[in-house]
Formats: sequence, structure tokens, C-alpha cells
Amino acid sequence: MRELVADLHARLAAVREGGPEAAREKHLARGKLLARDRVDRLLDPGSPFLELAPLAATGMYGDPDAPDAVPSAGVVAGIGRVSGRLCMIVANDATVKGGTYYPITVKKHLRAQTVARENRLPCLYLVDSGGAFLPMQDEVFPDREHFGRIFFNQAQMSAAGIPQIAAVMGSCTAGGAYVPAMSDETVIVKEQGTIFLGGPPLVKAATGEVVTAEELGGGDVHARTSGVVDHLADDDPHALAIVRSIVATCERGSRPAEDPAPYPSEEPVLDPEELLDVVPVESRTPYDVREVIRRVVDASRFHEFKQLYGETLVCGFARIHGHPVGIVANNGILFSESSLKGAHFIELCNQRGVPIVFLQNITGFMVGREYENRGIARDGAKLVTAVASSVVPKFTVVIGGSYGAGNYGMCGRAYDPRFLWMWPNAKISVMGGEQAASVLATVRRDGIERRGETWSAEDEEAFKAPIREQYEAQGSAYYSTARLWDDGVIDPRDTRRVLGLALEVAASDPTPTPMPDFGVFRM
Amino acid sequence: MTLQTVLIANRGEIALRVIGTCRRLGITTVAIHTDLDAAAPHVREADRAVRVPSYLDIDAVVAAARGSGADAVHPGYGFLSERAAFARALEDAGIRLVGPSAAVMDAMGRKDAAREIAEKAGVPVVPAYEVSTSSTTQGTADHLEFPVLVKAAAGGGGKGMRVVRSAEEYADAVAAAAREAEHAFGDATLLVEKYVERGRHIEVQVLGDDHGSVVHLFERDCSTQRRHQKVLEEAPAPTISEATRSEVTRAAVALAREVGYSGAGTVEFLLDDDTGAAYFLEMNTRLQVEHPVTELAVEVAGARPDLVELQLHVAAGRPLDFSQDDVRLVGHAIEARVYAEDAYAGFLPQAGRAGFVHWPHGDGIRVDAALESGGVVSTAYDPMLGKVIAAGATREQARRRLLTALDDTAILGLTTNTGFLRALVATAAFADAGIDTAWLDRTDLPAPPLDGAGVAAAYAELLHHEETTAGSAWRADGWRAGGVPGPGHLPDLPAGRTAVRTGARTALVDGVRVVEVARTDHAEGVTRLVLRTGAGDHVAWVQRRSDAVEVVDAGHRTAITRPDPFTVALADPGAGSITAPMPGTVLDLDVAVGDTVSAGQRLGAMEAMKMELALTAPFAGTVVAVGAAVGEQVALGTVLIEVEPTAGIDGASEGSGA
Repeated sequence: MRELVADLHARLAAVREGGPEAAREKHLARGKLLARDRVDRLLDPGSPFLELAPLAATGMYGDPDAPDAVPSAGVVAGIGRVSGRLCMIVANDATVKGGTYYPITVKKHLRAQTVARENRLPCLYLVDSGGAFLPMQDEVFPDREHFGRIFFNQAQMSAAGIPQIAAVMGSCTAGGAYVPAMSDETVIVKEQGTIFLGGPPLVKAATGEVVTAEELGGGDVHARTSGVVDHLADDDPHALAIVRSIVATCERGSRPAEDPAPYPSEEPVLDPEELLDVVPVESRTPYDVREVIRRVVDASRFHEFKQLYGETLVCGFARIHGHPVGIVANNGILFSESSLKGAHFIELCNQRGVPIVFLQNITGFMVGREYENRGIARDGAKLVTAVASSVVPKFTVVIGGSYGAGNYGMCGRAYDPRFLWMWPNAKISVMGGEQAASVLATVRRDGIERRGETWSAEDEEAFKAPIREQYEAQGSAYYSTARLWDDGVIDPRDTRRVLGLALEVAASDPTPTPMPDFGVFRM
Repeated sequence: MTLQTVLIANRGEIALRVIGTCRRLGITTVAIHTDLDAAAPHVREADRAVRVPSYLDIDAVVAAARGSGADAVHPGYGFLSERAAFARALEDAGIRLVGPSAAVMDAMGRKDAAREIAEKAGVPVVPAYEVSTSSTTQGTADHLEFPVLVKAAAGGGGKGMRVVRSAEEYADAVAAAAREAEHAFGDATLLVEKYVERGRHIEVQVLGDDHGSVVHLFERDCSTQRRHQKVLEEAPAPTISEATRSEVTRAAVALAREVGYSGAGTVEFLLDDDTGAAYFLEMNTRLQVEHPVTELAVEVAGARPDLVELQLHVAAGRPLDFSQDDVRLVGHAIEARVYAEDAYAGFLPQAGRAGFVHWPHGDGIRVDAALESGGVVSTAYDPMLGKVIAAGATREQARRRLLTALDDTAILGLTTNTGFLRALVATAAFADAGIDTAWLDRTDLPAPPLDGAGVAAAYAELLHHEETTAGSAWRADGWRAGGVPGPGHLPDLPAGRTAVRTGARTALVDGVRVVEVARTDHAEGVTRLVLRTGAGDHVAWVQRRSDAVEVVDAGHRTAITRPDPFTVALADPGAGSITAPMPGTVLDLDVAVGDTVSAGQRLGAMEAMKMELALTAPFAGTVVAVGAAVGEQVALGTVLIEVEPTAGIDGASEGSGA
């Protein structure tokens, strides 16, 4: 596990650098700050930064070490405290392909907006982007969840009272021009930021007019003439100071310092450092998930529900950083009893208005005649229904395997947890590679044998090996996080803090949790 | 007779000082105050208070004393304390002045007359020259041996004093000195005497009663002066020999005896460093500002004396109940005068509201002050805010205590000389008692580096954000995924400072390790920090506000203005604007709109804090605006005159229409 964590840290350190050195030097030579530096300077002193999917795009567009890699998908996104208020910050990294939007960049931007909308976080866009990555326009532009959705979301959130604020700190061309244009209040850096629907080359092509970028859509033009922006800044730090000042006026924004957790935070008695030792890397090796729970929750105190029933699913109440939570954690395969217990407990959490944390390490529901005949599908469906219908905020951490329907019952991405993180050892796929290879081999063998032919063991193994490899590769946490199937791969020792940050983000939404329409069904 | 009621004809710290002793002795106190001082601490502390139009209005003060049934009036220092006319008016009203008789004041209060009496008593006097008798008589410089000192015959405290080094300067200096003397003391008479370039100011505290007894309470050394204003005073004098001590104390007692002196008085001597000779300078017929060092360094009959109590004792007509043999030196005391002035910007007087005031306390520390949090310092009165006095068994112990005490003298909202005092007390020259009366005038103490304040402000910022988020998962510890904390930018401070916590009491400020040695919270959101950096421990008082972080670091006040994104674009005031360098009164204006002026030309004058300041043209040009009228009270920074440069007119016509 320590090796996996060291690898994670190395990957995080690598993407923090941003784009290629030459691009960074050029960026700095223009007097601009790097994207992460902008975020750091925008935040309140000492504010944590809960970054979303820093390893997005890993390996998707070429080798991560090659110059065509797109670190962090070319956009830094995350939650931080600005002028006392929790905000979603989305900062284009112009050193990565000019800050252009790859398909996964769009997905990350939209994910950030979803998190902002669900938690009512003001959105701060630090714009420095050439717009859509033109070679992949078919995967960026036309569909529902593509570029246009960004502006749709801005309008929807603005209408919902969630401030949309933009600082134009570089190019902001074509569709990108709508980020500031659709924002509630906008800043531009003079002689640096530009906003236009068509850049000088396009203007020349279309009308023959020869015009400089600054004349076409520079800060002075937009601050004094067009009125597209509201504030003109001298440089990046000035623009960030203006944004901080704007956020200070967003009275609806939540201020965690003034709305602290309902209970004082207490450190766990069992050292979270030990998580690296108590959890086996190989997900097939059994261990007691309470070892994890007691290293994550306040004072290591865990009020366990139905301890003696359905023992493969551990349920109970605890606090994390002073926030009450219900914890649902796998401790083996899901049986009917454990599914029923989970459904019952999720009902309790909804009735009591307690957010739920899922600690996912599940190979799936039990299979076999006995279980099918007893209706495990029906019991599994109860758990899935409870999860899907749950109205309290949900948080999922994949601490081991995430396979098949177990993913659904344990609040996988499709079940709208507010956040979902993976540990570096986590694996996710519809089933295990070995099982998939066996299933596919069986189907193939049946076909071969129906034709009266035979299939040698060597041929079967040659057939299965690439399937196993494919599942192994696609099941890794980094394959997942590259594609935004999660919100990031985290160091297991950060689990408590990350959950605490997220619980507070969710708790800062003043909207009351609706009451369930039914009483608690005893399962 | 027993004194029942005493009127204190003064304000500020000395009024409080006198009220304190009276209260201890069971004497009813009556304060006087002007409209400006209606809510001043001395009014609040006294048993009763009477309004007067001015502290210098003899008729009003005497009427107040009579009306309040006072048996005696304590004049403090300054104001009417050495005005024979006042003493006479009280005598006529049958009220005792706590001080000598009008006749003695007449004789000794005037520097010219005092010289003659001193000579008669066999006291050595400084060689003196022609005395010009009024501001209209310029006097002739032909027979003078320069340098000379021109000073107000009626005055003290450096007001109206001028060192003149050549015949050319003489006439102007006399005129200016006479004007200041007239203004400060209502008497323009001047005295001109030999100026000793390197000397020490030694003064002897004497005390006489109505029954012929005169004793001394040893001497003080007030050599640390800036343009004849005392800055640091101590007792006993650290450098004089026993022989000199005997000589000056004997001479002082002889002089007092010669005039039949009653009450507390001070006989000042100048010790010429070159010759070792001691010359009589003058006698002050009042309690001195620096009297506390004597009270802390001397024992009378086994106890620390209270000079005000002794003054009241004598004023009641009682004989002194101790003899010279009962008086002995028992330690050392040093006083530092805290002024509202910017020691690092030409000692410009400062005025304003002191948002937070903390005076030090502790073993051997005494503070005589009237300024408290929220107190307003106006230009109308002396800018001394208080005195910090440290006593010890030895001079070095007293000096070290004074350093510590000045660290904890925190006045926010108003620039004071505390940091300058602290730096001065810390110099090797002062530690070695090597400072003569002209030392400060030829030595520039370097302004403290701002970094102490900057580091303290950054650390306070860090603390604030930590405290306001404590207990939250969102606490300000710079958390980032993967364990590398954020860089700790402090966007609300200028100059891109950073602060990163590295331990419970350690942090990196701008990459430099800082240890929090101590920390206490005070009123008005002020935090006292003791921070240890590579440069050692320093005490900083920090107040975080929306507009600025104000820091008093080692006594030096700095207001670190927070960046305001909405003032960045505002144009700087033109270089041609002549603004009021301090709050005060416009004395005269020589120019009107349209006048052509040359660079350096005098355009007018301002007066504030009893000082005259010439307003001069920054460059050749034309006066385009005059923003004030003669006699007008103006605030700091008021644009008085605007000059447009001659050369700039061509340039200004270009560029439009491009």
C-alpha cells in the first residue's frame, strides 16, 4: 500500500507542474500566473483546496510523460474558501494545449458545475482558454453534455441564486467568450485578457477587417466600451483581489467558519496512519472493515446497527469532523440479510437526516441457486432502491473492489453521491478480469463445441489473457479517475479529512433535507 | 495650615500625577479644563472640574480657584507654572501657589536675572552676551563669539531656542526665536549665551521651605536631547565625579538659599565635556517633567520621596522634616518621553485618535501618562503623551527594564517616537553613557527595518485565519490532497507575503522560520506577539483591521495598508500639489491663482504644534489653485496650493485625438 501511495503522490506532483516547461516559461514571461498559482492566491490564507480529479485525462491522450499529455485535463477545479465562503473554482491551464477543451476537459468542467449546483457553491471561473480543442470537435461540441452545457449550467445556477463570477486572464475565444458573458460579474486583466466571438484571423477571413486582439476584445474595450466586463484589473493578482472582493458581497454563500459542524471534531483514537498497514492491497484478502472505520471517525466511536445480523455489511452511526454520518461498509459479499440490513439502515439515515458514507469494497451479490431461489435479486433491489431514493447527501469511497451490482447497492457513480473517491488500490469493473475471461471463454467454447470443434487449453488461455489484461487496465483507479468516473484518487490517510471537507461542503447548503414519505420499513 | 482643596492648573499626565498624590493625602482636587478637554482623563479623575477658556488665562484660573474654595493651586509644569504674574494674582487672592513666591519667580524665572543672582552666590555661569529685549530689536552680532545660543528669557523646554553659528544667521534666528517665545510664553525677551558644543545637561533637584531650610535630592542627567528637547533623563548622573557632584549640589543649594527658595526647584548646569567645567544655566521654579527619576533613585529618611507631597507639605507652611543627611541615592532610574511625533520623518508632530493604548507595567516600571485607548491627541497642546520610567539597582538594570517597557508601550492609530526611544536606549552610546547634548543632532538613528512589522502582520494574519476556522474540516492549515500544504499566500497583505504553519508554535513566514514565544489578546482586537526569528526575539502589538494591519514592533508603529483593488487605478495626486504636511493653521499665503513661481520659492507658511513650516514651490510653474485661506485650520494632506509646471504645458497638449 505504501508503494501505491508513493506512486499516487508522484502522479499528483507531476500534474501540479502543469504543461510543458517551455509553455510555462512563456506563460510566466507574459507576466501571467500559472493556473494553480492563481487558485492559491485566490484562496483565503491557509484555505484547504479540495481538488476535483487532479489526475483527469491521465493516459487518455497519449503517454502521460509525453508532450501531448493533458495534465489535469487542462483545467484545475476544486473547492476552496474565498473571502470566508466556500466556492467552486475552475481555472483553465493555458500551459496545457492553450487551455483548450478536450472531451474530458468538458466533462471535468461540467462535473465541477454539478458539484457546485448540488452544494450551492458560488462558481469562480479563471478563464484562460482557446476554446474547444478543434481536432476533437465531434466529442466536444454537439451533444447534451458537451461545451454548450457549461453556459446552460451557468444560467441555471445563476437563476438558482448561485453566483457565477469570471475573471478573464487570457484568451476567451468563440464559445469560451460566453463564460464571462454568462457570468453575473466579470473581471478582465488589461492587455492580457481578451474576449471575442471570432479572433483576428477569423475576422480577417470573414470580413477582411484587420484588427489586433486588444482592439477587438481587450480589457479596455470591454471595460470602457462594450460593457462585457465589469472590472478592469492591472494584472493577475489585481484581478484575483477583485474576485475576492466580489465574493465578499455574495451574502448567500456559505461561511463554514460561521456555520461550524454541530459537534466538536475529535481525532480518532486509532491512528489513521495505520490505514496503510491494516488494509491489504489485494482486494481478495479479507479483513475487518471496522479497522478502517475506527481510523476515520471522531474518537474512533462507532454506534453499530444490527451488529449480529447480515454481518457482511457493517452499518452504524458515527461523526466525522463533528458531522454526524451513517456509515455503510462492506465486510464481505452481499447476501440477502446484509442487503436488507443496508436498506433498513439507509431508511434510518433518511428519517434522521444523517448523511451517508459508503465504504465500498464489494465483489458483488452472492450468486448460486440457493441464493437466486431465495430471491437475492429482490433483496438486492431493496438496497439499490434505498440508495437511489435516499435524499440525504451521500459520499462514496471505494476502498477496494467495486464490481457489478455491488457498485449499485453501494452508491456507485450512477447513484449520485455528492462525491466519490477511490483509494489507489481500488478496482472497478462490471466483474473481475478472471470472471469476465471465464464467462467469455465459456460462451466461446459453447459456440465452438456446438460446431463440433474442439478448443485447446492453450488456445483458451491465449483467448483469456488479453481479456484479463484489459480488465486489469480498465479496472485501475487511474483509468477511472482519468475518465471522471470519480472525483479523485486519494491517499487512504486523507479519507477522514476529505470526508470532513465534503461533509461540511454539503452541510453548508442551507436547504433543509426533505422528509421521506414513508416510515421506516423493517426489512 | 492644612490644605483642604487644591486646584490643579494643568492637564494631562502631570494633572493626573498631582491628583493621585492629593487623593492619597485626602485633599480634595479641582481640575480645570478647556472645551477641548471636557472629557479628558484629568477632568474625570478630579473631584471637581471648572471650565476655563484657556489654561493660560490667569484671571479665569484664579477665579476658578477662588470659586472652588481652593486653598492652593498646583501649577504643574508649563502653562502658568513659572509666570510671576500668576503667582502674584494668586497671592492677591489669598491663595497659596504650590511653588515659590512671585518675587522669587521674578528673580529666578528670568534667565537674565538668575545669572546675576548665581554670580552673587558664587555659582559659575556660562559666558553670556548682549540680551536683546524684544523681537523688534534685532541686536547686533558684531561682538559675538559664535556659536551662540539664542533662547527665550522666560522659557524652557527648548521652545524659542536657536543655535547660531555665524553673524549672517543671527538676525533671522533672533526674529524666529522671538516669535516662538512670544507665542509660547507671551514674552519675546531673549538671552544670548556661549554655546557649548559638547556638553552634558546636569540638573539638581532642590527643595526649600518657608523656614529657611534648603536641601537637594541629588542630580539628574538630561543630556540625551534633540534640538534642546529632552528625550531621555536619568538619575543619578552616570558620568560625573563625586567632586563634580558635590560642586553642583552645593552650588544649587547655595543658589536656592540666596533667593530664599521655597518649594521644589531645579538648578540646571551645563558640563563642558572639553574643559570639565560646570556652568549654571538657569533655575526652573517648578516641578520638572523628569522629576520621577529622582523619586525612583533617591531615598529620603528611608523611603522613596513623593515630590508633589513634599511640595504640598511646604506649601502648607510646614518645615521640611528631614535634613540633607537623610537623603541618599539608592539606585538608578531612566525616563523616556513618549511624544506624538514621527521620529523617522523629521520628527513631524502627529495628531489624531489613539485607537488602542497600552502602557507597560512590571518590576521597576512607572508610567506617568494621560493617554488612554480612544484618546484624541490634538495639535493644541504639547505632543508629549506620557513618560515611561524604569528603575533598577544599577543603571544597566534600569536600562534593560526600560527596553522591555518600551517594547510594551503600544500606541496604535498615532505615530509616536517610542520606537526611536527604544532604538536610542539600545545604542551602545547610551549603554555606555556616552551621549552628550548634541549627540542626537549629529547622529541619525537608522529607521527600523519594516520587516519585523511585516513578519508580525503575516503571522497575525495566519493566526486569525486559523482561529476563525478552528474546529472545522475547513480549518486554515493549507490542506492539499497528497500531503503537501498550500503555499500560504496572504492575499490581504501587500508584497505577496506567505505564512505556512509548521508546528503548534512555529511557522514559515516568507520562507523564514518564526517561533511564537508568547501571545496574548488585548482589547480592540489587538494581539501581543513575541516572535523569535533569526534576528532574535521581538515584541509586536498587532491590530488587524479591514483597511490595514497596524503593528507596533519594538515600539515602532507601522500601518501596513491592505491592498484595495478599487484604489489601484486612482491617479496619484499630482506632484504639483502642495499639501499640509501636518494638521494645523495656515499662517500666510504669498501667492494667488495665476502667479508665476520659481522652484523653491516660498509660497506661504503653515503653523502647527508651535512650529512654522514654509510651503515652497516644487518646481517652476504657475499657481492653478489655492485650496485654503489664511487662518484656516486644515487637516493633514489638505491640498493647499497647486502648481502646474511650466515645462509640462506643451506635453499636456499632445496625445488627444490620436
